[in-house]
Amino acid sequence: MMFNLKTDRSQYPQPGPDGKLEIDLETGKYLKLWQGPNHPGITGNMSVELTVCGDEVVAGKTHVGYLHRGFEKLMERRSFIQVFPIVCRVCVPEPDFNEYCYAAAVEELAGIKVPELANWMRTLILEMGRFNSYMMFLGGISGALGLGVVGQWMTYVRDLMLDRFEELTGARIYHMFILPGGVRGHLPDGFAGRMEEVLRTAEKYLADVEKVMFRNAVYKRRTKGIGVIDPKLFEPYGVTGPNARAGGVAKDLRKDAPYLVYNELDFEVQTGKDSDIHTRVDVRYRDIHQSIALIRQILQKMPKDGPVMAKIPNVLHWQIPRGETYIKGESSRGEYGYYLVTDGSGYPRRINVRGPSYTHAMALLEHLIPGTNISDVAQLMVSLHTYPPEIER
Amino acid sequence: MMKDLIAKLKKHYKLTEPDYRRADLTFVTAQKDELRSLLIALRDIEGFTHLVLLTAVDWLEEGLFQLTYMLNNRAANRTLALRVMIPRANAVGDTIHDLWPTAETYQRELREMFGIDFPGSPRVNDEFILEGWTDMPPYRRDFDSLAYSLQTYRERPGRVTHDPREHMKKALYPDQKPEAAK
Amino acid sequence: MSLRDVLSPYTAWKHLFEAPVTIKDPIGREAAERYRGFHQNDLSKCIGCGSCEDICQNAAIDMVPVSDPKTGDSGLRPMIDYGRCCWCALCVDVCMTGSLTMSNEYTWVDSDPDAFRFTPGVDLKSWDAEEKGYKRENNERRLTGTHRPEMGMLEPEARIASFGEIVHGYTRAEAVIEADRCVECGLCVATCPAHMDIPDYIRKVREGDYEGGLKLLYETNPFSQTCGRVCTHACETACAAVHEGDAIAIRWLKRDITDNVPRERYFDLISKPDVPETGKKVAIVGAGPGGLTTAFDLARAGNEVVVFEALPKPGGMMRYGIPEYRLPYDVLDHEISVIEKMGVDIRCNQRIGTDITLDQLKKDHDAVVLSLGLNQGRSTRVPGSEEAESAIDLLRRITAGDKVPVPKQVAIIGGGNVAMDIARSMARLQRQKHGEVGVTVTALEDFDHFLADDEEVEEAREEGCVIYDARGPQEIVVKSGKVAGLRTWKCKAIFDAEGRFAPKYDASDEMVHPAQMVVEAIGQSADISLLGAELTEKLEWNRGRIRIDQNGRTSEPWLWAAGDLVSGPDVIHAVADGHRVAKSVSAMLQATRETH
Ligand code: SF4
Ligand code: SF4
Ligand code: SF4
Repeated sequence: MMFNLKTDRSQYPQPGPDGKLEIDLETGKYLKLWQGPNHPGITGNMSVELTVCGDEVVAGKTHVGYLHRGFEKLMERRSFIQVFPIVCRVCVPEPDFNEYCYAAAVEELAGIKVPELANWMRTLILEMGRFNSYMMFLGGISGALGLGVVGQWMTYVRDLMLDRFEELTGARIYHMFILPGGVRGHLPDGFAGRMEEVLRTAEKYLADVEKVMFRNAVYKRRTKGIGVIDPKLFEPYGVTGPNARAGGVAKDLRKDAPYLVYNELDFEVQTGKDSDIHTRVDVRYRDIHQSIALIRQILQKMPKDGPVMAKIPNVLHWQIPRGETYIKGESSRGEYGYYLVTDGSGYPRRINVRGPSYTHAMALLEHLIPGTNISDVAQLMVSLHTYPPEIER
Repeated sequence: MMKDLIAKLKKHYKLTEPDYRRADLTFVTAQKDELRSLLIALRDIEGFTHLVLLTAVDWLEEGLFQLTYMLNNRAANRTLALRVMIPRANAVGDTIHDLWPTAETYQRELREMFGIDFPGSPRVNDEFILEGWTDMPPYRRDFDSLAYSLQTYRERPGRVTHDPREHMKKALYPDQKPEAAK
Repeated sequence: MSLRDVLSPYTAWKHLFEAPVTIKDPIGREAAERYRGFHQNDLSKCIGCGSCEDICQNAAIDMVPVSDPKTGDSGLRPMIDYGRCCWCALCVDVCMTGSLTMSNEYTWVDSDPDAFRFTPGVDLKSWDAEEKGYKRENNERRLTGTHRPEMGMLEPEARIASFGEIVHGYTRAEAVIEADRCVECGLCVATCPAHMDIPDYIRKVREGDYEGGLKLLYETNPFSQTCGRVCTHACETACAAVHEGDAIAIRWLKRDITDNVPRERYFDLISKPDVPETGKKVAIVGAGPGGLTTAFDLARAGNEVVVFEALPKPGGMMRYGIPEYRLPYDVLDHEISVIEKMGVDIRCNQRIGTDITLDQLKKDHDAVVLSLGLNQGRSTRVPGSEEAESAIDLLRRITAGDKVPVPKQVAIIGGGNVAMDIARSMARLQRQKHGEVGVTVTALEDFDHFLADDEEVEEAREEGCVIYDARGPQEIVVKSGKVAGLRTWKCKAIFDAEGRFAPKYDASDEMVHPAQMVVEAIGQSADISLLGAELTEKLEWNRGRIRIDQNGRTSEPWLWAAGDLVSGPDVIHAVADGHRVAKSVSAMLQATRETH
């Protein structure tokens, strides 16, 4: 640290006998500061209610509910096929996880075996989605630090990937392609070639990001050693994905509990040591390269032909026997899962979406915030890579 | 492995017949008063350190809420979901925020969306997702979301649809229903 | 902090002079080939089944009237509200005809929000003919089943050895698969003459609620066991599923219900309603499906009903026309016993004109219903035809257990289902007597215009019958008083330019089919001599048929006519007639009760 000034901590709130901070706003020592719901340093529509003393944050509370659409309830009023168009909307940047988890849960409880090629296609789509989610992340973290140009590049690269999504699935954002029973179609002709072009362009821009962001003195100053999550917190706070991997825990469901065709793919779990903002971004940066490699690998290894849809019952009156299951996968942000409960009727009894942001942006963030500098809250938040719709579904 | 674990747990706890859903996923119903000690045993002895999720299922017809505590042992790649059935009326669960601090969020949500109280859970009565909600907890099965939306939002005027069968009947054989028919 | 870390970020400047990557004017940017854009609907293919509306989870679709309903087409077409549509294309995936597709057009700006609610195909749009856009892969409908399970049947070898029933009926698993395919659109209901509640009873099969299903069947059809076996199933031609794959096996599913309710349970489920006796008496002539349906309805309404049947057993053409291997007698007996349980008094061996007169019936009853079957065969009138047998007569004698001659070679004239019935019946008898089959069928029509059902032809062939198409009978060869064969010419055309029956033959293409029996199966008519001269004189006629109103009432206020006599040989038509007549009779009886 260059400026290691001693602070007089006497003016900061002192814990009461129960260990809780006593913050008396009347004293005039504290200020309530709202970051969000509309703020460049906030991921999506949520807000953090900060209590600050000087430029130090003494407490923070996460507020969500700005885009609650009652998805889980809506799904209870939809037939099993009708849930399919809804699920992707739980998460804009990486919608495909919802489609996969929901489809797999339905297939399991209904006893449907998905054709092999469909599993390859699903894996491909999930990696494409991961890539895009990371593009938004890199744009977000750089934006939180005022590096707008990275955001612009990443938006461009993401757009190129959206072009591939568009030609494969028929839509750019909400793909609605992974249907219970399989996927809706095969790869278009010449897809691999066009994908390769996108991946090359991506690599080119990522090399620029490396130079502009990772080898940037300001960036390093503002991310190294900041926002450290003690690995001891990982289990109590349900920390998964890159947030845990950056703290040396190789949590990656693609390896821990292989699903789809991950067993047949070569890849390594990307980890880091320092558990600070910098490491979390770095782990993700390396994971992007891994996704690129995985996409290449999948396109090369996947079967060239075969069915992509299993036979499914008449979807207009599809009933599934009573049962419950949980399907999970490693999204770009950590463990993503669908808990599906059926009761023998034509409608789900309950669907619970388990998004990694639920723990990361709530209890964990609130735990990490006290003691940070106001100016660091944005990148701390963004570095957790959270999407509010997963919290409030 | 799951079978062994369940057998072991059954020595000390009352568990129902488990549902071995997959090799890596088991559901079993536990007693409410044994939940806490079960959770601790699973977390501290059996390696189920990760609380995957905590949520509720409303079995309205049976007058019960099912609380699902899903735990994961990463090293062994095993997930065990404990179900605890509690009466729907004056539903109260036991807080586990001291075992997993993140449970606080789940319990706040359950309080708000299902009306299940968790006394002692921090900020359990704070609004979580809803703001100024006065109706019944909306994720309960008896909350009618369709009726709510019909009340709250305006339908687009001028929309009429026709049932093919009724439409054809009206046009082709309006009053031909045999004598015996109801 | 190294100097490199200060300078490195400036490498971003290298992009400074690059062309921008943004699209200047995105309106008009062409979307991908599979893009899910605005819908297109091929109106001539669409049948208005409403499956697209059912699946839409956004309730974006309304079915609106566009054309007049006709067989298998409700005339409704989907109107889409793009304020709700989420472009999921489930409607395209589920479409029963493949008429609904999507273009790849998505850029459209309009200040009027109502412009975004329209009926694709009706409200013309620039993208209507666009080839690109989302289609189902290989145009396969994958969200509902396309093919019916194959029906289990006796092998030809086993079939021909007896008159035992050929069709096994679906197993539970097969029935569930088949019932599952129905999309419950109800297009078929209008086509069924009795307007049976088809989607509802198919649902009962799916749910396994056979007793509920049986009750539903009896609401519209007291001959469901029979129809479940031999119905001409016009409904299946109107079925929404027929456009891509097989029609739902409506007939077999009906049978599935009737087969799965134990016989004794019928009497509990189909009990007589608790209505007061009316004190009125109705006589019905003919115990065929029409007459018995009328009897069933009228008895349930509290009337006293007597049915007069000339033959020894009730059932009419169902018993004496349809061979046992298609409709076993015990099934028919049970079906009729349910009707008798309603209090219907069936008196057999009562021939009108011989055993009792119509006048007598009129005197003893408040109303009389004539329900006559087509029990007289028509003749070809070719030389030697006086030596020919009539198919319908022969079938009756076989059923009655009479001894019919069974020569080694039989030739049959005709190509309809009755010809197949007699061919296959004679084949069985030959097999029993001679150990081998020697049946030749000669039909006037060629195979492209054949009258008999395909499966009848195929099964007859499998059983050893030889079928010639486009052969016109010229002579029944009689040698020393005995039939020796059938001489036929090639038929070049059946109808003349005006569409009148005037067959043209090629005399050079002659065949003589050796046979010791020739059977004519070229059509039937009703025997109306029982009306008697006086009544015949009094009644109004229309081209040789008794003139009736739409409810079957003749010009005589006490007399109704129903059944094959008025609507041709078909059980379900007769049932529908029976209901109509019962309703009309009931109304008259009610009126007289109120005035007296
Ligand atoms: S599903 Fe197809 S055929 Fe049926 S109404 Fe809709 S567009 Fe027409
Ligand atoms: S695309 Fe989806 S939302 Fe739109 S009309 Fe069709 S089914 Fe409804
Ligand atoms: S049987 Fe065919 S026409 Fe009738 S309701 Fe079912 S799908 Fe529609």
